[in-house]
Amino acid sequence: MREVAVIGIGQSIFGKLSHMSAIDVGRDAVVAALKDAGVNPKDIQVAFASRMYDCWVTAQSILKEVGITGIEMVNVENACAGGATAFRGVWKDIADGRYDMGIAVGVEMITNSPLAGKLISPTKDDLDGELGLTMPGIFALLARRQMEMYGSTIEDFALISVKNHHHGCMNPFAQYKKEFTVEDVVNSHMICDPITLLQCCPMTDGAAAAVLCSLEKARQYTSRPIKVIGSALLSGEYMYRMSDITLSPLGSKTANIAYKMAGVGPEDIDLVELHDAFANEEILRYEELGLCKQGDGVRLVRDKETWAGGRIPVNPSGGLLSLGHPLSASGVRNIAEIVLHLRGQAGERQTPNAKIGLAHMLGGTLSGVEAGACSVHILAR
Amino acid sequence: MAEKISVRQGLFIEDAEGGVLLANKCKRCGQVFFPKAIFCLSCSSDDLDEVKLSRTGKLYSFTTSNLPSMHFQAPYAIGFINMPEGIRVFSPLVIAEDKPFQVNMEMKLIIDKLWEQNGKDVYGYKFKPV
Repeated sequence: MREVAVIGIGQSIFGKLSHMSAIDVGRDAVVAALKDAGVNPKDIQVAFASRMYDCWVTAQSILKEVGITGIEMVNVENACAGGATAFRGVWKDIADGRYDMGIAVGVEMITNSPLAGKLISPTKDDLDGELGLTMPGIFALLARRQMEMYGSTIEDFALISVKNHHHGCMNPFAQYKKEFTVEDVVNSHMICDPITLLQCCPMTDGAAAAVLCSLEKARQYTSRPIKVIGSALLSGEYMYRMSDITLSPLGSKTANIAYKMAGVGPEDIDLVELHDAFANEEILRYEELGLCKQGDGVRLVRDKETWAGGRIPVNPSGGLLSLGHPLSASGVRNIAEIVLHLRGQAGERQTPNAKIGLAHMLGGTLSGVEAGACSVHILAR
Repeated sequence: MAEKISVRQGLFIEDAEGGVLLANKCKRCGQVFFPKAIFCLSCSSDDLDEVKLSRTGKLYSFTTSNLPSMHFQAPYAIGFINMPEGIRVFSPLVIAEDKPFQVNMEMKLIIDKLWEQNGKDVYGYKFKPV
């Protein structure tokens, strides 16, 4: 297996962009990534794109706009982990020696999709989805168990949102650059108790892209390639195997594969970008990724360990909560955030002297299974 | 009267006392499945018995949604119920003003109309506080 590096990253603006198309925002992200990499579009040999709604041949539609045609193009969908799945697809092809250079693109236009203005439900034809399960619904059921099992409070969940919105204020790309207090979050409109509006990620349109290259070839383009040292993607297990829904083994199993591949442990990680579609889940992810022991996640945010400038900043970008969550784009976008920090280009929110970062995504709710897909990527400079 | 259909075939039966959920249980490893599995998803045995789940279970988690979903108008409640047979069932919940939801409270299965679709009444299961 060959070493692979990220040599270019880019994203479109994130927000409610109903005046634009997926092709527009996808092209913006791809052009930015190609420019950042300093590569000619003709050098791209393979492309993976991800999008959930409502389309086909997304990669081809976007890449023909920038002079990329006649190569292997693959379109993937893995709910919120789709972008990370596309990234992993390119990584695998280069690591396996099939190609030397490729591009991963994630794009989502929620405001133009059948989802606009609705709660996102599980996959089509899913029984629990018909019976009323929605994304905020399942995360509210998890939140209730966190309160029951670990004594977490709605104020603890709100603090995650306060932190990530604080981080978002330092990110020019964030959809919502606004500071909130715990009281603001707790008192915002109740969606699915105990989850209030400001504990939910917003509806967002946008795209992100990354150019990957064999490490050997990367040195022709940049003096600071960012290496992909770990990559893992797993589907969820049957829920009947879980003693408690807060004790999902999926995140830790996925992280452990990536840690082992990278030859590092949680103690070596300098920053994390993770799936914070709902504030309470960020606490569970701390535990699954090994940033603290089981049941200790709340302490990390209370003690400011996961705030920018803390021991291990989590979601310094602002996360899905403040930056926004164009579903299939987020998995590429959060890898791009890690790259910025490892290069020392993250501006005001820069994690000092970051050497190793981890990007996590979780995608899809369906009856009887803990989640659709979980991805973990570990990058190093 | 509108035609009555089930949300899915084979999930439950109605009887004089209300109704029961239909599960199956592996005769080799004992794992219970609801909805029924086509073979044991734990040990792959295809020797399974149909079992009727208990009429009551304990509320494991709950939430009230203040936004509508595919079929339900807000507010509506959903939750997981731990059944004595060792499995957890996701279900719509009946909101009872005098019995606010609490983890571990006793819940009883009812079979009820869930929504209307193409002029038909779609029936399924709900749990309500005892």
